[in-house]
Amino acid sequence: MLWYKAWLETRSRFLVSLVTLTTFSSIFFHHALYISCSNTLPCPEKISHSERISEFHRLLFINQQYVVIMWILAVVLLGMGGLLREKALGTSSLTLTLPVSRARLMRVRVVTGVFQAVALGVVPWLAVLIISSRARMPISVAQVGFYILLLVGGGLIYFAMAVLVSSLVSGEYTAPALAFGAILMGAMLFDNWLRRFNVWRLVTGDFSVDRNTFLLSKHLPWPGILGSLCAAALMLLASAMAVQRKEF
Amino acid sequence: MSIGCNRITAFLGRNGAGKSTTIKILLGLIRPSAGSGEVLGRQITDLEQNREMRKRVAYVAEDKPLYGYMTVEQTINFARSFYSDWRIDVEKKLLLDFELPANRKVKSLSKGMRTKLALLLAFARRPDLLILDEPSEGLDPVGIEYLLRTLVSYSAEGVSIFFSSHQIAEVERVADHICILEKGSLLMDASVEQLRQSYRRIDIVFSALPPEHVFQISGVESIKTDGHQMRVFASRNAEAVVERAQELSAVSVEIAPVGLREVFLETVGEN
Amino acid sequence: MFFKVNPIAGQPLYLQLMQQIRHATETGALQDGDQLPGIRTLAEKLVVSPNTIAKAYSELEHEGVLELRQGSGAFVCVKRRIRSLADSVLVARRRIRDLIDRLRDDGLVDEEIRRAFEAELLFPSEVARKR
Repeated sequence: MLWYKAWLETRSRFLVSLVTLTTFSSIFFHHALYISCSNTLPCPEKISHSERISEFHRLLFINQQYVVIMWILAVVLLGMGGLLREKALGTSSLTLTLPVSRARLMRVRVVTGVFQAVALGVVPWLAVLIISSRARMPISVAQVGFYILLLVGGGLIYFAMAVLVSSLVSGEYTAPALAFGAILMGAMLFDNWLRRFNVWRLVTGDFSVDRNTFLLSKHLPWPGILGSLCAAALMLLASAMAVQRKEF
Repeated sequence: MSIGCNRITAFLGRNGAGKSTTIKILLGLIRPSAGSGEVLGRQITDLEQNREMRKRVAYVAEDKPLYGYMTVEQTINFARSFYSDWRIDVEKKLLLDFELPANRKVKSLSKGMRTKLALLLAFARRPDLLILDEPSEGLDPVGIEYLLRTLVSYSAEGVSIFFSSHQIAEVERVADHICILEKGSLLMDASVEQLRQSYRRIDIVFSALPPEHVFQISGVESIKTDGHQMRVFASRNAEAVVERAQELSAVSVEIAPVGLREVFLETVGEN
Repeated sequence: MFFKVNPIAGQPLYLQLMQQIRHATETGALQDGDQLPGIRTLAEKLVVSPNTIAKAYSELEHEGVLELRQGSGAFVCVKRRIRSLADSVLVARRRIRDLIDRLRDDGLVDEEIRRAFEAELLFPSEVARKR
């Protein structure tokens, strides 16, 4: 029942994040498409049809910007916990004396987190898909899939980093603070010197978007995504090794 | 240190002597800096063997760890799912005896109830080895009596028991064997019945005190003098001490048995 | 059956129990054919290690006082004339009472008398004889 335990431990964080992300995207699009003639999407009377389409695609792009921020926040918090946290809470002697290996404990935690991260990427965009289709906007499943893939494929590295930090540091507030600090530092570093490897720009679609149509280009940035996933895998491996070596 | 099967072995030591650390090393929570060990025939430093061994070992840590966010029922279901030696009938009986509310979250249980739940998770199983770290801490006298009776009952079923305790009176009643630890060293590994039979305090009065070294006979643990009196603690061979005293024309010789508390204090104090 | 063992008496618990069982058979509290509690039951009742009970029963079986039947339990098998032993116990008590009175007349307090008795009982009689 390790999965059940992992679910109980992350349930609140996950559900709150899911509701927040989905509600945000839903309201954002509902408002833009139904409520009023806003600055984000002017009324049909004021602009041409093709301009309206282009504006809609720009909305999708903007949504991704917001979703990325909230999603990264959520997955970093989901990546917290683990055996070091249990040691601080005093339950590690129960968990570690179960007849399961530390590797298995970490696997369950990570896989639960990955599934949750994927859900957090898919569900809000699914809401956008539904709302937009009902409003008869030209939203393609391919575009939505592209955004989701960028987010999750490129973004799991943030989850992995959170897991790594929580495998090295045990404070309830220290660990997330360090994780966010590392992300900020990383963002600054990559923004200034290594722009080509900037994960942020990858996940927000910066590398893939056509600035004229605001459509994501035909080809997925596979090298970027795979590179990010590899880095994530390496971090998770390092986390497993750190936990294996730790004394409780 | 070696702990025998089908026995109740008590682990005594001062705070900080290393009892909890030893237990954690056996269970793979801590790596030994040197040396090796085997539990139920399996190497403690081999990850896979240690995991195999944990299937047959029940352990309750000193702080009676439980997950605060689970209810009593969820905790029991959780623990049960890992062990094939779980006994549902015992689980139900203990739940009733301990009067634990099934749907209450662990974090809102009293300390006594948490202790009982932690013990239930071990007692509802039928392992080969039961390891308890200060099990009576947090229990009232009725609870302690119940605990000891349960330990004795398990021992009769063939479970080997290894527990650390500061409650020397309780240890004295149920333990077959004791190990005394001090600063990481094993000072004594003895059968309790053997101690009862052989450990003696000999009080001797002399008109003129002989030098202490005359009494450095094998088996003598300590010699203290005060005026004309000499007090000798001997873990065995008390008769030889009495003979020596008589040879030296002692005015009076008195022998008394030594309770476990005094044995412990003498053993640990001398070091 | 009411047994009581004293962990601090300086005598192994199994020996104490053996003595009490033997005494019970001698005074008639336990008769030939009576069944003693099972090892687990008695261990739980007295709250002592079952190894203690097991050893006591096993030694008594060796002496012929008990018969351990596989699966059934421990049964008393003493065929003795109870009265003569009860008599000798009475005689012994009378002699001890006289001795204690005399020791008190000599000026010893009860605590000293008790310790002297314990000291004599605690080591083998060979040493006492050497003295």
